[in-house]
Order: sequence, then C-alpha cells, then structure tokens
Amino acid sequence: MGVPFEALLPYAVCIGMFGFSGAALSKIRAMQNGGKRARHSVDQWDRQMMDRDRRLTGFLRGQTDNVKAPAGFELSNPWRLERGYT
Amino acid sequence: MSARQPRFNQHLLIDTTPLPDSIPKVQEVGSSSAPLLSASYFIGARCKAYNDDYMQCKTEANGKGEMDCLREGRKVTRCAGSVLEDVNKSCLEEFRKHWECLDNNNQQLWQCRKWERPLNSCVFEKLNLEKKIPGAPENETPVHLRKRQIFAHSIMTQ
Repeated sequence: MGVPFEALLPYAVCIGMFGFSGAALSKIRAMQNGGKRARHSVDQWDRQMMDRDRRLTGFLRGQTDNVKAPAGFELSNPWRLERGYT
Repeated sequence: MSARQPRFNQHLLIDTTPLPDSIPKVQEVGSSSAPLLSASYFIGARCKAYNDDYMQCKTEANGKGEMDCLREGRKVTRCAGSVLEDVNKSCLEEFRKHWECLDNNNQQLWQCRKWERPLNSCVFEKLNLEKKIPGAPENETPVHLRKRQIFAHSIMTQ
C-alpha cells in the first residue's frame, strides 16, 4: 500500500503558499535595504549611526571602510530646526 | 500661553562656515558604522589613553565640552584613523568579511564570531592589538572566546 499522497496535497498547498509569500516579503525587504537583511530594534544610537552612513555614502545602509572622510563631511551635519511662527 | 516642547523635524540648516584657521585641521574618520564596530575593540586597545582623556574632559566641562575638548578630540580622531589605516593595510580581507557579516546581521557581534576569530588572530599577529572586553569578570571566559554563542541564529556562523 503506497503513501496516500492525495491526502497530503492540501498541506503541500498551504506550505507552498506560506513559503511563497515569505520569500516574496523577504525579497522586498532585501530590495528596500540594498541587498541586505533589514535592521530591527533600531535605537537612537543606531539611527544616528545610519544618518552618518548616509552622509558618508549617500545610502542609508551603505558602508565604506575608507580611512579619510570625503571633503565636506565635517560640514554636512545639519542643524535641525523648527519652522517659527509668530 | 504655555510653551510646548520644540519639534525639530521640519527644517534643516547646513552651515558651511568652516572652522577658523587657529584650530588645526584633522581629517575626519571616513568609515561607516559596520567597519567602525568591527575595529572598535582594536581602537580601544591602542587609543585607551586618548579616549579616557576625552571622556574625562567632556564630563568635567559641564556642558562646555564641545568647545573646550577640541584638542583631546583631535587626538582621538588621529589615533582611530591610524588604527583603521593599519587594519586596512594588513588584514583587509578578514576585516571586510567581518563587517559585511555584521552589516547583514543587525550589527550584532555574536552572530559573526566565525569571521571574527581570523580577524582577531591576524590583527594580533601583525599589529599586536588584542581585543579585551572592559569590565568582563576575570574568572569566566570572555564572550568572544566561547565556543557556543547561545543567541546566534545558526550554528554555521558561530
């Protein structure tokens, strides 16, 4: 007596659907993060470092291991302001 | 009317006035977060004196540290730049693998011990800098030398 594969077909469909949506979501997250896995539990230190990475490389997840910063890096940290009103 | 907390998220101002010439110019460190995290313990090993000086100056300055501690800050920048330059010259491949792994893993050091061990041994041989975790208890193995990382996702990267 063989394996009753018709009974296991619904399980295969469910697993396939979950797997496909998981893979698609993971691919979308990788595309959003420059080919890397997404960052989670990002605190203020990490946000500050990612802002510094964006000032250095132009991308939020870009990394570089140059020793010297590009010209103008010292001046590119902006003052964050509020629009005034009277 | 009572004042409300300011919300500094509406406007950016980039001030391009450079520093006056009386302040010596120092090239800023150009590495981003993952290479800096990877090299941080080696920077600590070589630059401990300058870093401690700077932290003490900032603590004692009581708010005026941004202007008063520029001299100590220049020393910190130069020392960190020298460590990064040496690591780039001697151990570039291991260094790159380690920080690429860190970048993929949310900057968590315990996921990337497999690439950290060759980096540590290479830096120890060529530059004589050893990674020590400050404040670790003496009678246990330090976390980066243990065989099993209990929070790592997979066995292959431990």
